[in-house]
Parts: sequence; C-alpha cells; structure tokens
Amino acid sequence: MTTLDEAPVVTDGQPAPRSHGSRFRRQLPRRRAPRPVRPARPVGPPNRVETAGSVISTSTTMVALVTLWMALQMLVLGGVAQERSQTLLYQEFRAQVAAATAPVGPVTEPGAPVALLEIPRLGMQQVVVEGTASGDLLAGPGHLRNTVLPGQAGTSVVLGRAATYGSPFADVDRLEPGDRIEVTVGQGRVVFTVQGLRRSGDALPQPLASGRSRLTLVTAEGQGRLSAIAPGETLYVDAEASSAFPAPAGLPPTVPESEKPMGLDTGVLPLLALDLALLLALTLGVIAARQRWSLVHVWVVATPLALALAWVTTDGVMRLLPNLT
Amino acid sequence: MRPAPRLARVLRLGVVALVVGASAATGVTAPALADRPQPVTPRAAVAGDAWSQTKSMERQFVAADGTSTAISDPSTGSPWQVSVNVDHTQNLRGRERVGITWSGAQPSAGRANDPFGPGGMSQEYPVVVLQCRGTGDDVRPETCWTSSFNQRSQVSRSENDAAWTEDLHASEAATARISSALGEVPGKDVCPDIVEGEEFYTRLVPFVSAKGQVYPACDGKTMPPEAAAEAALPANEIAAFTDGNGSGSVQFEIRTDVENESLGCNKLVACSIVVIPIVGISCATASSLVDQEMSVAEKSCRRTGQFAPGSGNATNVAGDQAVSPSLWWAESNWRNRFVIPVTFGDPPDTCDILDPRAPTGFYGSELLAQAALQWAPAYCLNKKRFKFQHNQMPDQAGFSLMASGGGAAALVSSKYEATGDPVGYAPVALTGFGVGYIVDRPGNAGELADLRLNARLLAKLITQSYTGSSFGAGHPGMEQNPWAITKDPEFVALNPGLTDEASEAAATLLSLSNSSDVVRRLTEYIASDKVAMDFVKGKPDPWGMRINPSYKKIKLPRDEWPLLDDFVPQGGTECKAKNPSTYFNDLAAPVSTMRKIAEALLDAWPNVQTRCDTDLSVTPPIYKLGRVERQHYGDRFMLGIVSLGDAQRYGLRTAALETGKGRYVTPTTDSLTAAVKLARPEGQRGPFEMDMVKLRKAGKAYPGTMLVYAAARLQNLDKKDAAKVAQFVRTATSEGQRPGSGNGQLPGGFVPIRKSGATQALYARAQAVARAIEQQKVPATTPEAGPATVTPGAPEAVPAADPAVAAPAAGPAPAPEALTMPPTKAVSSEWSGRLLPVLLMLGLVFSVVSAVSRVVVLRSRR
Repeated sequence: MTTLDEAPVVTDGQPAPRSHGSRFRRQLPRRRAPRPVRPARPVGPPNRVETAGSVISTSTTMVALVTLWMALQMLVLGGVAQERSQTLLYQEFRAQVAAATAPVGPVTEPGAPVALLEIPRLGMQQVVVEGTASGDLLAGPGHLRNTVLPGQAGTSVVLGRAATYGSPFADVDRLEPGDRIEVTVGQGRVVFTVQGLRRSGDALPQPLASGRSRLTLVTAEGQGRLSAIAPGETLYVDAEASSAFPAPAGLPPTVPESEKPMGLDTGVLPLLALDLALLLALTLGVIAARQRWSLVHVWVVATPLALALAWVTTDGVMRLLPNLT
Repeated sequence: MRPAPRLARVLRLGVVALVVGASAATGVTAPALADRPQPVTPRAAVAGDAWSQTKSMERQFVAADGTSTAISDPSTGSPWQVSVNVDHTQNLRGRERVGITWSGAQPSAGRANDPFGPGGMSQEYPVVVLQCRGTGDDVRPETCWTSSFNQRSQVSRSENDAAWTEDLHASEAATARISSALGEVPGKDVCPDIVEGEEFYTRLVPFVSAKGQVYPACDGKTMPPEAAAEAALPANEIAAFTDGNGSGSVQFEIRTDVENESLGCNKLVACSIVVIPIVGISCATASSLVDQEMSVAEKSCRRTGQFAPGSGNATNVAGDQAVSPSLWWAESNWRNRFVIPVTFGDPPDTCDILDPRAPTGFYGSELLAQAALQWAPAYCLNKKRFKFQHNQMPDQAGFSLMASGGGAAALVSSKYEATGDPVGYAPVALTGFGVGYIVDRPGNAGELADLRLNARLLAKLITQSYTGSSFGAGHPGMEQNPWAITKDPEFVALNPGLTDEASEAAATLLSLSNSSDVVRRLTEYIASDKVAMDFVKGKPDPWGMRINPSYKKIKLPRDEWPLLDDFVPQGGTECKAKNPSTYFNDLAAPVSTMRKIAEALLDAWPNVQTRCDTDLSVTPPIYKLGRVERQHYGDRFMLGIVSLGDAQRYGLRTAALETGKGRYVTPTTDSLTAAVKLARPEGQRGPFEMDMVKLRKAGKAYPGTMLVYAAARLQNLDKKDAAKVAQFVRTATSEGQRPGSGNGQLPGGFVPIRKSGATQALYARAQAVARAIEQQKVPATTPEAGPATVTPGAPEAVPAADPAVAAPAAGPAPAPEALTMPPTKAVSSEWSGRLLPVLLMLGLVFSVVSAVSRVVVLRSRR
C-alpha cells in the first residue's frame, strides 16, 4: 500500500507524507488547480443581459425551490413523518391500554394519544392525539380538548387534516349513514354508527339523549378539479353510539382560537424566526466553507443540515396554516 | 324430556357403524340409545328453541334435445325429502355445540378421516354444515365461514374439474370461465394464482367479514386471519356423513365474534347455521345426445361418484367434483340449503361493559361457572339488583376470603371450619362433576357414547400407575403395569371393542392442579370403594398391576391432588436425553380450571407435555418440552374431569361411574335427584352431607353429584352486603332455577331446585339461610368485620357536565327541546383552500422562468 501511495508523491519531488490528514490537505489544491481553466470565461465585464439574466435565474430558482419543497413536504414528506408519529403513538397507546393507564380525561397533556379510531370501510386506523392545534394535528387526528373523549357520554369532537401530512381524514366524505366507526379508549371499545355528513348550512344534529355518545369528525373539503389539495370548507361527520362510558367531570369550558377548526397557531412565530435565522446562518456557512473546501465536501456537509432545517422550518410554517388543511 | 338431543348426542357423526350396502347398515349403538338415560336438564326446554324443516331436492340433467332426467331417491322414485332437526338454537354462547340431525338425504360415500374443514372435501354426497352471518335471504355464500380458501373457491381448475360451469340453475355470470361471486375478479397483483389461459377455470367465492372487508379467497393469503394455517381454533365447519338409511347427525360448534371476529356473530349480528345436503350439480343442456361427444366439462358435471355408499376414503383420494362438498356454493347445491337462524346470548363481558357499578364478588367454585354466566346479566342489567360477579378460585380460598371479610360470600361445595363468625350455607345449585371423554371407535366407526369407569380405574389413572410409554415403563416397581388404560384388561372388559393401542394421553386423567371440592368428591368416591383402596394400599389388581410406588398409601380423600412422582427416565432421543424431566408429571400436567379441561376435550388436544422439540438452528441446539399434538379424528382417546355445566354447554360426553356391582350411573336429572334425596342437612344452617357409601348403596344415585352453596357470615357482615347475599340466594333459588338459555335462567348440566319435590329440603334451607344472613342477628359492630369488603353498589360518578360538551365547531350547543336545529355555521379558510394549488403553481412558474433565464444567460455568453 505504501509503495503505491508513495509513487506519485515521489514524482512530485516532495517528501512522502506519512499521515493521512496531511496528504488530504495537500492534495486539494491539486484537484482544484485545473478548475479556473475549465469555464473559459469571456474577457471583460458582464453585459446587462447577463447580469439581469443571472439575477432572475438565481432568484426564481430559489423561489421555485422553496415553494416546491413546501409542497413536497406538505403532500409527501409530511405523510412519512405522520406515519412514523402514528407508529410511535400506536405503540405508546397500546401499552397504556394494556396497562390500564390510558388517559380517560378530563385533562390530558396535549399531544398524548387518547384513542384509537378505526373506520373499517375506509380501511383507516389512526391514533387520536389530545389537542387540535395545527401542530398537534401534524401527528394525527386531534381530540378537541373541551369535549369528552370518544365513547364517553356526550359529544366528542375529533379534527383531522384533509390534504397534508398523511391527510388522515381525506376520505371521510365517502362515509355514508350506517357505516361503522370503531373507537378504542382507555375505558374500552365503542362502535359508532355514522348518522350523516354535515356541511355549512345543514341542520345541526338533534340533541343527544342522555347515556348516549356522539362522535363528530371534523375536516375540510375542497371543490372543483383540485378539490383533493384545496380543502377550504369544513365538513362534519356525525356518528352515534347507543352505549357510553361515564365521562369524568371537569372539562375545560373553552379552548384557544388556535385549536378551533381552521385555527392557526401564531405562537410558533419565535421558533420560526429562529429556524429562519439558522437557515441564514447555514447559507453564510456554506459560502464561507466554499472558500476553503471543494464543492463536494461542502455538499456532503451542508445538504443534511439544509434538509433538516428546511424540514423543521416547514413544520413551523405548517403551524401557521389552518389546522384542517 | 325430548329424545332429540339424546339422539343427537348418541348419533353424533360417525357413531353408527356402516356396513357397505344400505340394507345391511345397522346402528351399533342402537341398543345403547334405549339404555342410556337422559342427560341432566338438556337444552330445548324453551318453546321455539328447537328447529326443524323438510325440503325436497333432486338433481337434473338436461340432454341436448331439451329433455331432462332427474336423479332422485331410488327407494321412492320421487325427489329426496330431507328433514333437518336442530336441538337448540337460542342464546348460544361461544364454542357451544348444537346437535343437528337429518334424515332422507342421499347416502354419503368416501368417508374422510377428518371431516372438518378442508379434510372433508374429498367425500361424496355429504351434508355440509356451515356457520354464516345473516339470516334468511341475507345469507349468501360470501358470508359463510370456511377455514381454507379451497373450501370456497376453485382456482385455475382444468375443464375436468369445472362442473360448476355447467350448473343448470346458476346464472350466466356464475358459469363463466373466470368468475367471482362478487362480480369483479381481482387482478394479478391480488390473485397471482388465477391463470388466464383457455384451459383453466376459476370461480371465486370471496368472504365478506362482519366489518365489510372483502377477502377474495383465491389463495391462503387472501383469507381472513382466523383462517390462517395454525389458527387458534380448529375448523368448525364440517362435511358430515349420511348413513345408508339417509340419516346422519353432527354436533356443530358455534363460534361468536370472540372466537371468530371476521365472521362476527354476536347478540346484535344475527347468524345462521346453514345445512346443505349435497345432491350433486344439476347440469345444463348438453351439446350432444351422445355421451362420448359431450365436452369434458359436460361429462364431468354428469358424474355420480366414484365410491360406493358408506365406503371409506382414508387416503383422501379425490372423488367426483360434481357431487363433492367443495361446490356447496354452486346454485344447484345452494338452493337446497336449510338456513337455521340462531341467536346468541350476552357475551361474557356484558356486565363489565354495560354496568359501571362496582361488582360484588362471590368467590369460589367453578362448578357454578356456566350458571353464573347466565345469571350475572340478570343482576347487572337490573338496576334494582346489585352487580353479581362470580370469581372462580379454589373453594377453600374462597371460603377463607369470605370468613376474613374479604368477600361478601363464598361459593363452596362442602363444609369448611369457620374460625370466627358463624357461617350459613344456602344451597343455590345442584350439579356435579363428570369424567369427560372423547373416544373414537377403531376403524372409523364413530365416537364411543357409553364409556364406563369404576373407582379402581380412576385410582389407577390419578395415581399415575399407567406408564404411558417405554420411558415410564422403566419406573421401578411398575414393570408389570400396562402402558395405558386401553391396555388394561379391567378397562377392556368394561368397554370392549376399543383400540388396543397405548398412547400417553390414554395413561392419564386430565385433572385439576389446585385445591377443589371436585377433587375431594372424586377422591371420596375412590376412598369409598374397597377394591380401589386395596389397590391404593399396595395390593396388585387381579392382572398384576401395582400402584405407582410414589402414591402408595396416599391418604384419601383429599382436596388437592399432589404430583409426587420424581422419576426421571434415562435415554431416549437426544432431545429427551438432553432435557431430562419428571416424566409422570409431564404426563399428568394438571391445569388450574375445569374450563381448560373441557376445551382440551373439545379440541381433542391432550395436555400431555412430553413432546420434545429440538431447535437445530443454533449451536448448541435448544431442546424444549411441550404439549403433544392434537389427536386425529378417528384416533381420539382422552379423559378429563369436567363440570356438568361445561359438559352440557360444549356437548361433551361424561362417563358412567360404577356404584354397585355391575351398576353404572351417568349424570342425569334422575341420578342427581336420587343422590340429593340421600343428603342429610347439618345443623340449622349448615351444608348437606351426601355420604358416598350410602350413595353407592342406593345404586342409582350419581356419585359425582355436588351441591353449590352460597356461604356467608351470619354475624358482622356489612348490612348492604348481607342484603345482597340474601337477594342472590332468593333470586338464584327462584328465578335462577327455571331451565333455559336466557339471562337469569338455569343452563343445562344443573338440576332445578324447586319448592316441592325431591329438592324441597334444599329450597327450604336456602330460604332460611337467606333470612338469617339478611338479619345478621348480632349487628355489625366490630370494625374489622366489614370494612375490608368492596364498597358496595356505589355507582361511579355519572357525568355531571353532559350538555356543555356539544361541538363548538358545530355552532352553539343545541337546545335540548328544539327539534328544528339551527344550521351549521360556515367555517372556511381561504388559506386552506388556496395554499397548495398556489404553491404548486408558483413552483412550476418559477421553475420555468428559472430555466428560461438560464438558457438566455448561456446564449448571451456565446
């Protein structure tokens, strides 16, 4: 090995380096050396077309990258993240149910799993988390905190995203009266029967008889050709069960605006500012690193960081958007 | 009592020995049928519980010229008149077996060794019995359960095996070359086995689960999870055999959604038993008048079977498809179906779900399990009563718990020493235990229906004096002993005509590992027999068999049967050599509940733990002892102690026990009543004593008779608890003694305790003790007496804030009296509706601009 390594070094007429690190540094200029020759730059200052062109090209590329990344994360990558959250939540909830430690209300920490929602006709199985802020719904459908848990006596409301982050409730508009919704909570299992779908202007369901349980699924739906990715109007699915578990007293009387349907969470702004600052720092870091290191090395180091920051930032942006999107 | 259930039990599939040739066929057990008394309170006491119907059916061939030939009953020349009777259909519970009998059907042929599930598919003209979801016309082949896809779908068959495509009664679509009962045939991605070629025929009969999921059933992967190869429960659907006279019977095991969630039968989801006598596929118009010129499928459709009626087909050679049970779904067969609606009782967890009150536990005897299952909903669903809960545990433990204040009452079957407060015993159930068995006659002649045992045979079994195999034969002092009861001349003399092969399962009696009054009663029975006790004391029996020295002179009777043998055999396979164990303990392997024993008998799966597995995938190999395999249909031999309630619920047979010389008594209403007539009450409020010696002398009394008492303290019991126990005793001895399958009624296996008649004394004693318990002559003052009990009956806090929880999203909470409801408020978001399309559009536009501008820049540089 050493003989092979030494051969080119000796031809350079320099002492053979022993350490790996020193050779690394020394070889870099050699690989970069031919670079200035390659692009055969034109002589003289760039003309106006060139300047304007490169400015437009760079800025539009950036805008395209940012918008497409956001769309990609909302539609695809967010789904992967949601899937993972669901897997973890399912494991956690399963263990809690088995150990009889699953929460039964009235106050549960937001983000904790509280119920398992299954709709056999849609082949859907989702773990419902506590809280309905935009950020909570990134992990799965959320339980509106001032209602009872699904299956307990009274009305329970569960919100879910329609288009982004796994779009768990994308298909609930296909439900028909009579379909089953099965819910497992810490107290047991309740089978709801769908009563009907409700849109803006439709009559509210009849008052609930005592001892019964109602589950209202809330999501959004769109119109027209792009309906799948443009959910602008809320949609309600009402389901009822004839039996109910006793509900604990002490529910909070109301929830913040951000947890109501189509609510946005502006509390994320400081965090978002930090994320953007980090992105900026990364950009400057890349420019600085580019002075010393080859393009390949900068790429290798910066790409994961950029992806991670972009991901976190988009998650932050998502919280600023309506929670049913 | 009606003869039908008796008939069902005795004539259970395969009991009748068949001689080839219809005229020679005689029922071997026919004399036994007359001899054997009725079982303890058989089901079908309620009107409408039994079911019967008669249908006529025939098979038709349509020739090329349009003339049709009918194949009908040769003895009458008219269509088969098939009558089906079912002994009970109401309030069934999980794994309960119902007796189904039929007559007038076409004699079956090519008898299979194992007619359950896929094993029965190569028979001819059987009667297919299935469990299906739905009732009446809602029952379709797609809702019927089968435990393999081969039983419902025909995938990529040759023309020779495509008889259904010629079905006269089927629709056009159903006779297509590739078709599915649900219309669309799944693609290659789902069903890769469906070959599209001209010469292959496929018919799918998908399964639709209770939740509406469709399983295409084109291979093992596209079946519901309960149909997996190593499913927890064996198949219950059966292709049953009809004898030469056209009659047959089967005990069909019912599955609820607890056992089979995909099928999903329960109290709310109606289900049916579907009985389809296979008469063969009726064939549509042939292409030619000459037989030889017909197409292969047409010829195959017109086949009438390869086996003679009554013949066996032990090697599972395929018969003619047109008359096989695998085409039960074809319209020609399906139109002959009998749909027997069944209803289901409340699931075992009804009270836990529907009643949030804290239960009041009664602790003790498992004998009451089946009665408690039916009684409990009558308490918890009635708000005026308390929530009764039966917690099974050894009688002794239950009594101690009650005596120490840990439980309101105990359920016991014998007298226990009370250390503190006096205790009253109120008889609430008359039942007992039995020696359950599942024994097949050799030569596939069906199941034995009249096993007889005596005290010495039972003593030999429980003292582990049969050696089981060559391993046990090495036990010092037992060299002369037979390997199993089937080799014991004493047993053979009592039960002639059984197999003379020894098996490990036939060397043991599956019994209870913990303390129980059942063990006490069983050992009392042995102790009351002089010959048996001589054997226990060490005297060899007339054939030279000696007791296992480890149990020699064991004290009888006793509450708990110990495992005393510590013999570890040497040698054998490498696995056994590397994994030495106490062989006789592995043979006996007692379990903790009689329910487990009943299920082991139901599955014919002995609890013998001598199977030795070697895992060669690791070094050094891992050796593991485990339970032996299930016994094969036709070779079953297994004995176990069961409660009479379980035996009746699961349709298990119980052995006749010897009382006097040559007198064998089975558990029946009469024999249990005869035993209770001999019972002598102890004291004012004590239990009844049934002296075993007197009982044996009486001759016709069943030795396994036992009373279950609710025992509670007569002093210092919490007032509320006292009232509950008194209520329980009164309800149990009045409403709880009405035979039936509904909530609060008395299931089979129990003899009703009535105000008058032989059980009069029991009734009177129960009322007196209930009064004494209620009154608690000395009021509870001592603090340690009451407080340990569960706080009685206080229902959990019912939600206070019910109305305020209506969806805020759905606008204001609806006013309770309003019937015209306000409209849903519009909640919408421009952001939500436009964001994604705008993002995507911007992204595309800017990508294009970016690309264009880059091109412009590059061009300008040139």
